[in-house]
Amino acid sequence: MPTFKLDGKEIPFEPGDSIIRAAWKQGIEVPHYCWHPGLSAPANCRMCLVEIKPPEGQRGVMLDIVEWDEKNQRYENKRKPKLLPSCQMQAVENQEVLAETSPHVLEARKYVQEALLLNHPVDCPICDQAGECKLQDYWLEHQGTKKRMREEPIHKPKGVVFGDTIVYDGERCVMCTRCIRFMDEVAKDPVLEMRERGNLNEIMVAPGRKLEGNYTFMVEHVCPVGALTTKDFRFKARVWFLRSAKSVCQGCATGCNAHLDFDPRYNKAYRYRPRDNEAVNKFWMCDPGMMSYHRATEGRVVSAYVKGKTSSVKKALDEAKSLLASVPASSVAVLFSAQHSQEDNWALRELAATFMGASNLYVTGLPDGFEDNILIHHDKNPNRAGVMRLSSAIKPFEDFAKDVARGAITHVIALGGETPAEVDLSNVQIVTVAAYEGALTKAAKVVLPATSWAEASGTYVNAKGMAQVADKALEPQGLSEPGWKLLAALGQALGYDCTWAKLREVRERLEPAAPATTATAPASELAK
Amino acid sequence: MQAFPKKPASPTNATPVEYTEKNLTTQSYLPEIFKGLGVSMKHFFANTRDMVKGQRPDPVLERYSAGVSTISYPEQKRPYPERFRGVHRLTHRDDGSPRCVACLCCSTACPAQCIFIEAGEYPEGDKRRGYERFPVRFVIDELRCIFCGYCVEACPCDAIRMDTGVHAVPYDSRDQFIYDKTALMGFTGRDGGHVTQNPRHEPGEAGHPGVDREHGH
Repeated sequence: MPTFKLDGKEIPFEPGDSIIRAAWKQGIEVPHYCWHPGLSAPANCRMCLVEIKPPEGQRGVMLDIVEWDEKNQRYENKRKPKLLPSCQMQAVENQEVLAETSPHVLEARKYVQEALLLNHPVDCPICDQAGECKLQDYWLEHQGTKKRMREEPIHKPKGVVFGDTIVYDGERCVMCTRCIRFMDEVAKDPVLEMRERGNLNEIMVAPGRKLEGNYTFMVEHVCPVGALTTKDFRFKARVWFLRSAKSVCQGCATGCNAHLDFDPRYNKAYRYRPRDNEAVNKFWMCDPGMMSYHRATEGRVVSAYVKGKTSSVKKALDEAKSLLASVPASSVAVLFSAQHSQEDNWALRELAATFMGASNLYVTGLPDGFEDNILIHHDKNPNRAGVMRLSSAIKPFEDFAKDVARGAITHVIALGGETPAEVDLSNVQIVTVAAYEGALTKAAKVVLPATSWAEASGTYVNAKGMAQVADKALEPQGLSEPGWKLLAALGQALGYDCTWAKLREVRERLEPAAPATTATAPASELAK
Repeated sequence: MQAFPKKPASPTNATPVEYTEKNLTTQSYLPEIFKGLGVSMKHFFANTRDMVKGQRPDPVLERYSAGVSTISYPEQKRPYPERFRGVHRLTHRDDGSPRCVACLCCSTACPAQCIFIEAGEYPEGDKRRGYERFPVRFVIDELRCIFCGYCVEACPCDAIRMDTGVHAVPYDSRDQFIYDKTALMGFTGRDGGHVTQNPRHEPGEAGHPGVDREHGH
């Protein structure tokens, strides 16, 4: 791979990479606002300027400047190299680029930063971006001076509602045009544009339109400052109180990588942020996915139920034992859940298929839905591929409905509460380990409360067959426990030798799935 | 080897106590009783003289001067120093709404984590909508508070102050120490007012950062 030198360090690059991208791949951040690894490079923020040394034997472009000479107390004629935006300059073999080591670059960053903050309202205390704002970071890193302009700043519209999800503040905007380019290039709906010029510049929605579609949240996500905020997160929390867990979106079978931001003090999730993964979701997530963090608290089963009444887990296990004790394995149906993690489904397979010898295996989950050709998958379950990997005998839910109607099944051991279709469950005795309420929990004789994806670490296999781990964020709510743990307890109550007691043991005994893909972006970009 | 070796004997470094000689004078206690009564009576007469003369020592320097050093609290109160940090108050704007913009800087700075704020957006049509937020709930647990004053230091709007001159009051149940927004806005500063001397610009006024193109100046 060819290399160039950035501040004396050898940086390998793919032909066609810009300097900033090659550095980013190595985990080196050149300060930038308008450049985003997933978007085109307009080079309008001028923050990523670097000094590029001319090749051997050639003259570089120099600018004539006047500079105040402190010693002689007068302006002197000087020359300085022309700086170039690293987001648009392609890396060239053996080229020598100076960023941190060039006094001209450091000076340029300082003045660019000052210019960007000229008309900024500096309302950080009431800005949702405060704490993760590039203006704050770069001010601290590259400027660190007070504002020198004594004039009244230019005022622009504030609190402009762009659509059902996004609110725009013109004064905080640095006109990086990331949001415009995102709607153009990724969402393929060029609904945002720019009006006026210079310091009157502002972002606006095309006349007669509003910002809509399935990717509006990403407009806020790409915004490096607090100009775009989502109505969902607006004023809800300060980011420095939040902690992040590496999670996997549960909205569909794409399995987008995400950070689940939560406040450990209130044990509450506040938002998703896309986690960069070139192999799955690149840098993006869809709106339904971004909103799906609400499922950490909505519709959860947080208590054990026996015949519709709350009970302790122990009493529910006793009830399940008396229900299932003398039932022939041939009339027991086992319902795996594409909503639950691979660990939970594995435990169910061990219990039902290996120990009990049941052979009627089915899969349940949420019904199919909308899909597009960007990220959204028609299968709204995060782990269907993983369930199908557990056994070749697993049949679809339609077969389950038929077998129930036929009367071939009298008892059901199920994971999950949701079903993809309506089915009459009045003639079967159901024991379910569920995180969410649904048709199965309503009809079940015994419900055991499982943790949701946010409350326990779990593996999910997406439609591409990639096994991805979602880390634990929140503490389990109510009586809920990880599903595999409850299934082990259920197995032991039924007198089987279910010995798994720790997540590590379950992971070791799981079939080796495809290795979990890792994020490719450097830490600096992941932190956004 | 013993599993539990014996403790070494403790060294005899104790000092023997000296007892006073037992005789009739010490055993009857009477001389000492009269000595003690004498001290009490000396103070009694001195204090009575001070009260009759109306002399009271300076409350700050009282421990260094003679005279009656007790006061009849709560009818009489000691004056607090100028910068005494009392219970918090939320300052008002001209229209009586809180100056607080619910930025959570105070609860971030609070080492005791006693401030809870729920931020809200002004309703549609309000001139401050889009510019500011306001506290829907503002709760201080005065039991947890350590009266360090960091919240006052952190506040960018001069919205929380500890200049009420009132110390934390004893109550008979814990929930009474949880001051909500109404209670905090009910306290006044030492000057008896709800506002602060620091100026503040409202949307639409010159100098407010949120003047837009239509409402320019």
